[in-house]
Amino acid sequence: MEEFIGKVWAKFVTKKTSKVYESERVYFTDIRKSLKIFHRLMGGEKAKDLQVTDKRALNTSRTFLQKISFLGKEFYLPWQDEKALYLPASIALFAHKEENKMLYFWLVAMATKVKVTSSNLVEQNTEATHYLVDRYSGFKIFYEQMSALLFSKSLQDKDVLSSQPFGMWIYPALNSKNKANDTSEEEELQKEQAKEKTDTLEMKKQSRQIDDKKETDGFLSFLPESLMNIMEQVNVDRSEDDRFDENALYHAEDLDEITLGQKSANLASRIKMDLDLQPDMSEIYPLGKGHFLDEWDYRTLSYLKNYVCIKPQITLHVIPTPLPKKLKKMISKIQGALDLLVLERVKNDALPYGDEINMDTWIDYCGHQNKSTHHQKFYESYEKQTRDIATLILADVSLSTEAAITQDIRVIDVIKEGLMVICESLQKLKDDFAIYTFSSYKNTKVYFHIVKNFKEPYTDLIRGRIDIIKPGYYTRLGAAVREGANILDKQKNAKKLLLIISDGKPNDLDRYDGRYGIEDTKKAIQEVRKKGITPFCITVDVQAKEYLSYLFGKNGYVVLKDSKKLPKVLPEIYLNLTT
Amino acid sequence: MSEIFYVPQTNEVELFEAAAAMHLPILLKGPTGCGKTRFIEFMGEKLSRKVYTVICHDDLSAADLIGRHLIDESGTYWQDGPLTKAVREGAICYLDEIIEARKDTTVVLHSLADYRRILPIDRTGELISAHPDFMLVVSYNPGYQNILKGMKPSTKQRFISLDFNYPTPEIEEQIVITESGIESERAKKLVSIATEIRQLSDTDIQEAVSTRLLVYAAKLMLKGFNPYEACVHTIVQSLSDEQDVIEVLETLISLHFLKR
Ligand SMILES: Nc1ncnc2c1ncn2[C@@H]1O[C@H](COP(=O)(O)OP(=O)(O)O)[C@@H](O)[C@H]1O
Ligand SMILES: [Mg+2]
Repeated sequence: MEEFIGKVWAKFVTKKTSKVYESERVYFTDIRKSLKIFHRLMGGEKAKDLQVTDKRALNTSRTFLQKISFLGKEFYLPWQDEKALYLPASIALFAHKEENKMLYFWLVAMATKVKVTSSNLVEQNTEATHYLVDRYSGFKIFYEQMSALLFSKSLQDKDVLSSQPFGMWIYPALNSKNKANDTSEEEELQKEQAKEKTDTLEMKKQSRQIDDKKETDGFLSFLPESLMNIMEQVNVDRSEDDRFDENALYHAEDLDEITLGQKSANLASRIKMDLDLQPDMSEIYPLGKGHFLDEWDYRTLSYLKNYVCIKPQITLHVIPTPLPKKLKKMISKIQGALDLLVLERVKNDALPYGDEINMDTWIDYCGHQNKSTHHQKFYESYEKQTRDIATLILADVSLSTEAAITQDIRVIDVIKEGLMVICESLQKLKDDFAIYTFSSYKNTKVYFHIVKNFKEPYTDLIRGRIDIIKPGYYTRLGAAVREGANILDKQKNAKKLLLIISDGKPNDLDRYDGRYGIEDTKKAIQEVRKKGITPFCITVDVQAKEYLSYLFGKNGYVVLKDSKKLPKVLPEIYLNLTT
Repeated sequence: MSEIFYVPQTNEVELFEAAAAMHLPILLKGPTGCGKTRFIEFMGEKLSRKVYTVICHDDLSAADLIGRHLIDESGTYWQDGPLTKAVREGAICYLDEIIEARKDTTVVLHSLADYRRILPIDRTGELISAHPDFMLVVSYNPGYQNILKGMKPSTKQRFISLDFNYPTPEIEEQIVITESGIESERAKKLVSIATEIRQLSDTDIQEAVSTRLLVYAAKLMLKGFNPYEACVHTIVQSLSDEQDVIEVLETLISLHFLKR
């Protein structure tokens, strides 16, 4: 039967190819978002992406399809691998948009029910078809209509089988054998890149390289202001031999205290010196030699004392940046929602004075035997709800954030946009907040980068710092969490939130990988909770990991399947967490 | 015999009875509409105890729980609040969504929740020892939205915790049938829809579909609404305000219940 349909379909399509319904064409990109949600609804793997398929040949060898002459030709076949489901860029087979659209939904539903290889193509697809037709009356009708169409068109013509594979099926992945090699090669590459990066960074630190190719014009208009800002936060002090002054060595506690440097005498000369720099020369500046933290070794069930070196940094010569235009619409929408929230009020009763008499207290008083000993707090007032929350945002900027989401958007880009958007919200709510990014290169270098500390106001300068965030190296998550918690611990707020934006995967070049990294991070998260700080992780990884709930607890994290949504979702999550 | 309809999910009935016998308070965790309130009503009936339910919110004051002075022509008199009534009469006091209440409101529970089982009433100077049959039950929804508000571990540890979730499809189907009177075919479809939507996560939709919503949808169908419409007005619209999510949910429903 299925073979029959296959053949019939083939003819149907050949005949039809000349007659596509151009005006009724449905494009994948227009409904991609809906299809993704639908994919999850159907129980599809949450991490799987939906993409457009390229023209490809059918690599099946054993089925009936062999007999059909389209073997070897190329088509836009729907297929999937672990990463994604690949669908045709557009469909215009049917006379109505609705039907063309329905075919997309059908294919997505099929994809969640099959595991096709070249040897079980027919069985898998047949089984899935039966399942869908039995379970969903909507699909049943769709399928029946399709079949009816096929039969009516084709039975007169006894001619050859030709042209196209059956368009309601999912096909096997291309060269699935090569997969294993691919990933290991990728890893090699990553390691190399990381190494290269460290090298260049080291070089920069040593010799303060200046790129002479850059034009110098126009930089004066922004440089002094940005420089002043920085000077006020960091007492930049460099000795002639370009080593970093020992006095500039800050401890973790000081990270958040960095405001006006003590050696203001240096300021003028510093600025002069720095003015000689080229524009666009943002430079990563280490705040001292670093300080040490413990790390948990699960094999010995003990801490390795002072094992990890945290290297605090800040980027200098940042160009202040206004809010990007493309985010404005989203932000104004969010702010509308925040306005409502800001209006919420709480009642305080038993006040010595206030807006209204509190009846309960007053009547208590009236009924009291000895009025002279009774307190006089009869009033109540409504107050604007005061939020007393400190939030430290800890963004993972390891190498993996360089991964592309679409052709021109990388994970790091959505993280940056997300930070910009949530900053606007936090600003509006008047919540205290700080932002740090981190990446590591073994236990000896855990770079902890200040974007904004609790003291600094949120300005274009901070946006500029967000704008130049660059992917770093690896993810020593436990160390970063501890450092973040140490800073938060100094805050006096009633509630403290450590918001981690990460792929949630602890890993580094040394043994900090797999179990070791996971156990250390879990330990760090426990320490955070003990300090009365609430940790929460937002993962933007494409692969949801099983151990996330082990690390953060069942309600301690969310996984964003569509990382592009981060900017939109981040403020929502924050509000949900804090109201 | 039993008037209230309740289908147990696991061994919660036995656990509740054990806690009652040991005079221990109970904490119910679980999403909205999964049967927590119904369970308490059912247990109240089973143990022949009255149930006082208080739905907590951030304006709830201690007086709302304990009681207040009121005025009549002869002067002021004291009126017990639901908590005090339950403590005196040996009833069940059920505080729904406990973490919505402010901390200064819920401090009064401490001495009731531990071994002392006493309720001091500052306003009258009275100190009440709880009736042996008094039972404190609190509930909360441990979604990630609530982690900052979450109960302190030290408080939680005084309670026997029962973890509620949406019932299994078979049980849920039975609930929908009994509650609404609908036949099994459509009940099955409703449960399928719910099961599928529950695959979505917090970031797509605010809340998951509750059993309650399924019962509503079924009731609308029996009132003569076409099934598709009934689902749209109960399930779809209540879950999201976002157009693209709504559209997909509508598509899903149209696959189970044809549009028309
Ligand atoms: N186990 C169950 N047995 C019977 N009815 C149930 C059950 N679970 C849910 N229901 C139905 O769902 C509705 C909502 O349940 P409810 O107890 O109000 O939820 P919750 O208190 O958890 O928000 C009930 O009115 C009832 O119709
Ligand atoms: Mg309830």
